[in-house]
Amino acid sequence: MSSLLEVEGLNVWFDLEGERELHAVQGVGFALEPGERLGLVGESGCGKTTTVLGLLGLLPPSASVAGSVLLNGVDILAGGEESIRPHRWVDLAIVFQGAMNALNPVKTVGSQIVEVLELHERARGREARTRTSELLESVGIPADRAERFPHEFSGGMRQRAAIAMALACNPSVLIADEPTTALDVMVQAQILELLDSLCRDFGLALLLVTHDLPVVAELCDRAAVMYAGEIVEHGPVDALYHEPRHPYTRLLFAATPDLYGEGVPASIPGAPPRLDRPLVGCPFHTRCDRAFGRCTHERPLLRELEGSRSAACHLNDVVAEVV
Amino acid sequence: MRGADYIVKRVVFALLTVFVAITINFALFRLAPGSAVTNLARVPHATPETRLAIKRQFGLDKSKFQQYWIYLGQLFRGNLGVSFANSQPVATNLRTALINTIPMVLIGTVFAILLGTLTGVIAAWRRGTKAEGASVTTALAFYSMPTHWLGLMLVILFAGVLPTGGMSNEFLLNPSFSTHVKDLAEHIALPSLTLGLVLYGEYTLIVRSAMLETLGEDYILTARAKGFRAGAILRRHALRNAMLPIATLVALSLGYIVAGAILVETVFSWPGLGRAVYDAVLQRDYPMLQGAFLLLTISVVFFNLVADLLYFKLDPRITT
Ligand SMILES: Nc1ncnc2c1ncn2[C@@H]1O[C@H](COP(=O)(O)OP(=O)(O)OP(=O)(O)O)[C@@H](O)[C@H]1O
Ligand SMILES: [Mg+2]
Repeated sequence: MSSLLEVEGLNVWFDLEGERELHAVQGVGFALEPGERLGLVGESGCGKTTTVLGLLGLLPPSASVAGSVLLNGVDILAGGEESIRPHRWVDLAIVFQGAMNALNPVKTVGSQIVEVLELHERARGREARTRTSELLESVGIPADRAERFPHEFSGGMRQRAAIAMALACNPSVLIADEPTTALDVMVQAQILELLDSLCRDFGLALLLVTHDLPVVAELCDRAAVMYAGEIVEHGPVDALYHEPRHPYTRLLFAATPDLYGEGVPASIPGAPPRLDRPLVGCPFHTRCDRAFGRCTHERPLLRELEGSRSAACHLNDVVAEVV
Repeated sequence: MRGADYIVKRVVFALLTVFVAITINFALFRLAPGSAVTNLARVPHATPETRLAIKRQFGLDKSKFQQYWIYLGQLFRGNLGVSFANSQPVATNLRTALINTIPMVLIGTVFAILLGTLTGVIAAWRRGTKAEGASVTTALAFYSMPTHWLGLMLVILFAGVLPTGGMSNEFLLNPSFSTHVKDLAEHIALPSLTLGLVLYGEYTLIVRSAMLETLGEDYILTARAKGFRAGAILRRHALRNAMLPIATLVALSLGYIVAGAILVETVFSWPGLGRAVYDAVLQRDYPMLQGAFLLLTISVVFFNLVADLLYFKLDPRITT
């Protein structure tokens, strides 16, 4: 049986000046079952947004994409723009990073929801406006605000409106790219709670992109940890937290203060490698506290481990519980 | 209602601007060297009595303040004075010139706006392609061409095909209406084309940069993620938002229609306002110049006001 959404071997290269290329996403793959929640985590610049835009076919012309994106077993990337467009918003809806500007400032919030209902022929005219009111109310925005413009909304309200908009066509997968980054802590918690309950109520599968591990721990079933364009560890959130099988995962959790603010936020020394030149060895070896000879010249592959998880680290070949 | 104050404030400000401009306009002409009398008399050895008589006739013997007061009073009654050059009321002269200028400049400007918007949108939409390169290069080339030079080139190119001077064929006797219109259209073609070509490049560049800025916005990405086709995104989101700076530019440049195009009108002997200003300068025809400047001021201020109000209408974010 095929998964709801299955991404296989996704690669993205950006053309840079002077014939150079930046390999931003390197063979990323994951699957999402109906109602499942997957967190995609990693430091800034590791390719989370590029992965998400790539699987929706939304990257700029300077990007080349390879790999497949299967929706219920059908490759939607293969046929280019024409094959993917019918699935946008209908099957795969997205709430963008920094949704402050994701709404058009010269159109009312309501009209931006109505237009997508009409585009995908879910409702039109009065019916579409009624549906819009319902959607707004379902995210806690009074229906009469539909006639207001985005600048009349607070940041949290705008993000709620963006979520309501994403739900308009009852998608099966909701992608949220750092939905709370620009918001203050109280509002962040509210938005996350909202996402949580909506996913439950609507049976949505969620792909949550964030660099905030506690958020993933709270909201997601599984997590994929990205580093320098590739997934380095993937598995159930609990397993990743208690028993990381990649040093980066361990350091990432250690770098995050826990929910009660205990523990000092540490940072991982060093910086990720540049992606515009070929990598030799493990991409993480320069920052890794457990690197050994093999790491400097042989790139570890993502390998299946017990307990429906996988990791890309040579240490897993040496002894089981070392990381 | 949103903006009642805004509109009142803008209108009051516009009126104030016009008043200040009128005053400066008056003062400026009294500061200019040379006197109308020396030019008007055209009698090398006029007696002091003659000079005085002329001065009296034109009110130049009164104090500057009195002159200003009289000027304001007459303005209020719509009297712009009498031309020193042809002794006709300035208002009549201006009206004739304006009626000749408006269609010529309007056709040129509309041509420029349409061509500029089209090529600008193409350049932005086809970013990084040959189409963009061609559009921008051509626009820059026309933008930097001197008006009179382009006019002369068109004269050379089209001489014999289209009339190159004046507004109508003087030798058509009692032409039928359709012949008259055809004759006018032929005469208006070259000056309008010259003006349009000189103006359009600027529109291309501005429309292109406004579009590029808009196309890079997050809400355009949202529109794509929603499943809109490229054309629909252009129409529904990009054009609508890029229209903000463009609408302002259009409104502002309409303000200069009244100024006519001195160079174009001179090259093509078009009897419009630009030519009238040019002649008035040569003849030191104060009242004519003052009248023309007044007209120009009012039109610029008026279209500025229109631009402000338009922007206000188009952009819901403006509240004050
Ligand atoms: N349009 C582009 N052209 C060239 N390089 C790009 C482009 N977009 C992204 N990149 C590069 O691709 C890499 C991945 O960027 P991406 O935005 O996907 O990271 P991210 O994980 O989403 O980071 P953040 O947490 O900051 O959002 C970065 O090195 C970035 O510089
Ligand atoms: Mg990102």
